[in-house]
Amino acid sequence: MLSTRAVGLGPSLRQAAFAPARTHALALSRPAIRMALTKRAIQTESHPPSAAMEILNKQRLKRPSSPHFTIYEPQLTWIGSIFNRATGGALSALLYSFSLAYLFFPGTFDSAHIIEFVAGLPEGVKYAGKALLAAPFAFHSFNGIRHLLWDSGKFLTLKGAYSSGYAVLGATAVGTAYLAFAM
Amino acid sequence: MASPLILRSSLHRALAQRYFLSASRSALQVRNESSQTQTQFPYIPGGPIYRGTVNDPTSFPPPSRTHGSYHWAFERLLAAGLVPMTVAAFATSGSSYPVLDGILGISLIMHSQIGFDSMLVDYLHKRKFPIIGPIATWGLRAATVGTMVGIYQFNTNDIGLTELIAKVWTA
Amino acid sequence: MQASVSALRAATKRVSRPHTRAFSSTLPAFQAEPLQKPILNKEFKIYRWNPDEPSKKPTLQSYTIDLNQCGPMILDALIKIKNDIDPTLTFRRSCREGICGSCAMNINGQNTLACLCRIDRNSSKDTKVYPLPHMYIVKDLVPDLTQFYQQYKSIEPYLQNDNPPEKGEFIQSQEDRRKLDGLYECILCACCSTSCPSYWWNQDEYLGPATLMQAYRWIIDSRDAKGAQRKEKLQNEMSMYRCHTIFNCARTCPKGLNPARAIAEIKLQLAAD
Repeated sequence: MLSTRAVGLGPSLRQAAFAPARTHALALSRPAIRMALTKRAIQTESHPPSAAMEILNKQRLKRPSSPHFTIYEPQLTWIGSIFNRATGGALSALLYSFSLAYLFFPGTFDSAHIIEFVAGLPEGVKYAGKALLAAPFAFHSFNGIRHLLWDSGKFLTLKGAYSSGYAVLGATAVGTAYLAFAM
Repeated sequence: MASPLILRSSLHRALAQRYFLSASRSALQVRNESSQTQTQFPYIPGGPIYRGTVNDPTSFPPPSRTHGSYHWAFERLLAAGLVPMTVAAFATSGSSYPVLDGILGISLIMHSQIGFDSMLVDYLHKRKFPIIGPIATWGLRAATVGTMVGIYQFNTNDIGLTELIAKVWTA
Repeated sequence: MQASVSALRAATKRVSRPHTRAFSSTLPAFQAEPLQKPILNKEFKIYRWNPDEPSKKPTLQSYTIDLNQCGPMILDALIKIKNDIDPTLTFRRSCREGICGSCAMNINGQNTLACLCRIDRNSSKDTKVYPLPHMYIVKDLVPDLTQFYQQYKSIEPYLQNDNPPEKGEFIQSQEDRRKLDGLYECILCACCSTSCPSYWWNQDEYLGPATLMQAYRWIIDSRDAKGAQRKEKLQNEMSMYRCHTIFNCARTCPKGLNPARAIAEIKLQLAAD
């Protein structure tokens, strides 16, 4: 009896056993048998309640992590933010690499050599290089001011975030053009 | 009439006691086994194995203002200070370069250090990267110190940061 | 007498009804034709992963349904697909009116509630449906929100005050009550937290916008007395200061709330302490 209960057959077996004894059970007995058969096809295991955590954790280890930045819509909010970090990182990396280069090779990376090297470059490369430096500098500076305004409690609405974002983009374009070509 | 009632109630109590005992024992067992699963499935930072059940709150790191609001406020003040310094670097020329170079060198490098460190905390934290994380953090600190020395050397022995940028820009 | 007459009338009516029916059915021209809507097929690409076959990588499965035989919202399309095409498609849903937060998912690259998101009726473009980003997936569109709930519990989201009023309830001025507007409406759908890149990288330690906004909701509640302790808990590198004011949270919130502002206000309060 215990074993049949464990696999969940108890009720259906009982029902099947009762069915023929009923007076007009002919119509009833067939679905009862079918139920018993289908129930028999299902295998169940008996677990103590304490096994729940183990089963859950075994499943968890197989779970995939859903995709994130590859499927998320590119929006001014987070694309602007990652550019702020990338431009800051690039400019800082330039500062670090120049300083360390001067620290270890003061003969090769002194100002005279650098200025001489830049002066020898073709005009097009000079302008491209200046634009390449001016754009991240302008963006990081203007976006940094935007961040400071946010941190002092201003423009903290979705509309404010977007209008200030577009303002930063515009200022970056103007600033880059001025620094690269007018200075 | 009274005696069967007493008998029945005492029987009830005995049964209840036994059930209660067995229930509490099984609860203890559950607790033991859950701690066992905790060792069998150790907590992974960022999942998929979590500490406790859905009804247990996550814990907080010990409070530290140096890592909290002081760090935040210092970062903002430093960044705000960079704004007038940048403007000054564009506006001034010649004689005031050495002073400006000194302040600008230190604050730019501190600003960079904080920025790089923030990236390491975000992407390479030691709880998730126990080997690369500390290496990166200490590597960054060494690089920052080296950069400080390098900038100091350049500002004292060479023409200085502001003048270099000005001259390279017009070269 | 009257009763028998009415009974008779009823009987004749019953008899005559088939006749009138047959008669009217021979005149279809007088009846209004049901409007035959054109077929408007639209493709839905939906993220699938089955825990019973864990070695199989998650895939995008394509379903095409006729939008003119479907309700206007993404949730209607999902339910139609589940009913008519593929009963194994799994997703959470309950209220279908944007108050339970169950059907939060990533639709065409944005986190939102499927029940509040209209189907784009441009049939030349497909609609992509993913689960909430950077979450462990239980099945198909169902993410594991265990940690999200654990974090919400960690901020003790209930009124704490050791000095209850002597009589009656806590009294709050209208002005103080107004401070809670835009905060208490959160339905904890996890759209904002799972849209936050900082939460993607550090969700085990960073609380995320939804939880932090609720932390602020209790910090500024004039009836709560544990504000200092609540703020002290956030004084560390990870719990709140991983917020870099990205604003994805405010951009994606299906209820139009602004967690970014709430977090900025906490930062200002902590700096002033």
